[in-house]
Amino acid sequence: MTASTVPAHGIATGKHPGFDTTLVSEWTKLRSVRSTWILTGLAVVLSIGFSAAIALVMGLTSEPFDTWSEADRVMSDPVTSSMPGLLFSLILLIVLGVTAVSSEYSSSTIRTTFIVNPHRIRVWSAKAIIVGLLGIAVHAIAVPGMFLTSQAIYGAYGLKTASVTDSEATRFLLVVALVVPLTYTLIPLSFAYLLRGTAVAITAAIGFLFLTSNLAPLLPAWIQQHALRYLPDVATNSLSGLTPPGDVTYLSPLPASIVVVTWLVGSLAAAAFVLNRRDV
Amino acid sequence: MITATGLTKRYGDTAAVDGLTFEVKPGIVTGFLGPNGAGKTTSMRLILGLDSPTAGTVTVNGQPYRDKRAPMREIGALIDPSAVHGGRSAYDHLLWQAQAGGLPRHRVDDVLEMVGLTDVAGKKVGGFSLGMHQRLGIASALLGDPPVLLFDEPVNGLDPEGIQWVRTLMRQFADEGRTVFISSHMMSEMEQTADHVLVIGRGKLVADMPMAEFTQRSAHSHVRIVSLRAHDLVTHLKARGAAVTNGTSNELMVTGLDTATVGAIAFEQGILLTELSSQRASLEDAFMEMTRDSVEYRAGSGRSRDGTDHQLPPRELAAERIH
Repeated sequence: MTASTVPAHGIATGKHPGFDTTLVSEWTKLRSVRSTWILTGLAVVLSIGFSAAIALVMGLTSEPFDTWSEADRVMSDPVTSSMPGLLFSLILLIVLGVTAVSSEYSSSTIRTTFIVNPHRIRVWSAKAIIVGLLGIAVHAIAVPGMFLTSQAIYGAYGLKTASVTDSEATRFLLVVALVVPLTYTLIPLSFAYLLRGTAVAITAAIGFLFLTSNLAPLLPAWIQQHALRYLPDVATNSLSGLTPPGDVTYLSPLPASIVVVTWLVGSLAAAAFVLNRRDV
Repeated sequence: MITATGLTKRYGDTAAVDGLTFEVKPGIVTGFLGPNGAGKTTSMRLILGLDSPTAGTVTVNGQPYRDKRAPMREIGALIDPSAVHGGRSAYDHLLWQAQAGGLPRHRVDDVLEMVGLTDVAGKKVGGFSLGMHQRLGIASALLGDPPVLLFDEPVNGLDPEGIQWVRTLMRQFADEGRTVFISSHMMSEMEQTADHVLVIGRGKLVADMPMAEFTQRSAHSHVRIVSLRAHDLVTHLKARGAAVTNGTSNELMVTGLDTATVGAIAFEQGILLTELSSQRASLEDAFMEMTRDSVEYRAGSGRSRDGTDHQLPPRELAAERIH
């Protein structure tokens, strides 16, 4: 059979595949599984609910603010105390970041992904953008939600309240709503590309983004100063104002930003490098 | 057109694919045959750019797969029908693929119709049967209406009806002028579907020829006789240049002589034959014969003391999926 007798196949219409089509495809993947909506929904509901519950306990158990000692008044911070619900949203963002990638490995759809689109870097970057934006969307609801709910409860019980427009509060809320979700989705996403298994990647990400910094106070000061403050979550605390200047782990805004960006870019780049070279 | 040149993939010391050189010609069905663990799946993955070769090259229409800008319009592949996210609907499973390939949305409806899954398009894939998974996988491969189709073991685990469906479909694709490349470890399956065969064993190419030639060459017939005095006949048959193999106690397999000659020899010796028949070796036998030396693991020892071969089927291999 000569080439001329072979009828032409192939779809003539449609778009030329590019970065835009990959973004749309990755969004379809994420939105078409129920777990995405369970994780993001739970992150919002649990974080706001838990913060509200803690605020309520504080209101019910505290003496009225005007009877507090001067020292206690200075120590109390209605901005950061409204955020205990972060414990839930951050863990769920880690799970979201990991499973967005690891579910493709566990179901082997990763192969289909690279058969229909052999440009691995394009897939990797599109997925990172979609997952990062979804993480920001979660915190853009959860963080103001926790803050406003808690302030309303504090106000009702006569405790000290903060306003979104207070400069300290604005900075804290912006960092926690916009920067923190990137760290807590994209570093886990990178871990998932590197480690491929859901359980191992979630464990590694929680260990890295939670345990290390929570163990910090137990470690000698020089380790805190020379190692721990360069961890992404610890540096983010300097950036948000949670860590006051003068603390051993404090970094001023510029170096703190550099630390956070370096971790994000570094882990994503490591994932891209491995993904591009490894057999799938 | 798929072209492999010296294609090699090693995992440590084991060569899963070892210096494969072949061409898959356009417009026909080419069967890619080999026992489990022979390197078929690895070859498919190398073609699709999922794995990188240790040495050699493989191209689709003259270009390495990973360099392609719009592969879905050029080649459609089904390598693992179970590679689906169980929580996604069949429609969404095809939609994300169509979107990745820049294909219009109506293609999803088209291919669902083509494979008969329109009614379950909104159902979660996790509840699908093996046959439905297979249909969905074929639908994926057809999304871009590609001129080249590649299927890894498309009838594996299907019921007879499903096998019939796939077989008809493969023929139909070839009749439409598409290049079809199908791997299988089932010879008999290929006999009815393929125009050309590539046989591999232990990663090496052992045959590359038209199906007709393969059938003819491998079907060296023999004569089967049954007699109470079968044993007494052996020397007389051997004296006439035949090769004789013992079957059961009263049975002989004779190669090199036709039925008439064997019957005449028995008559001359006054030995009563209770059965005399011409046997044509099956394609399965030919395949086993061909890949005998290249099967990586075999059940039991291959050879018995009297020199006859006890050909046992190759065991399912894990080697096919070494990572």
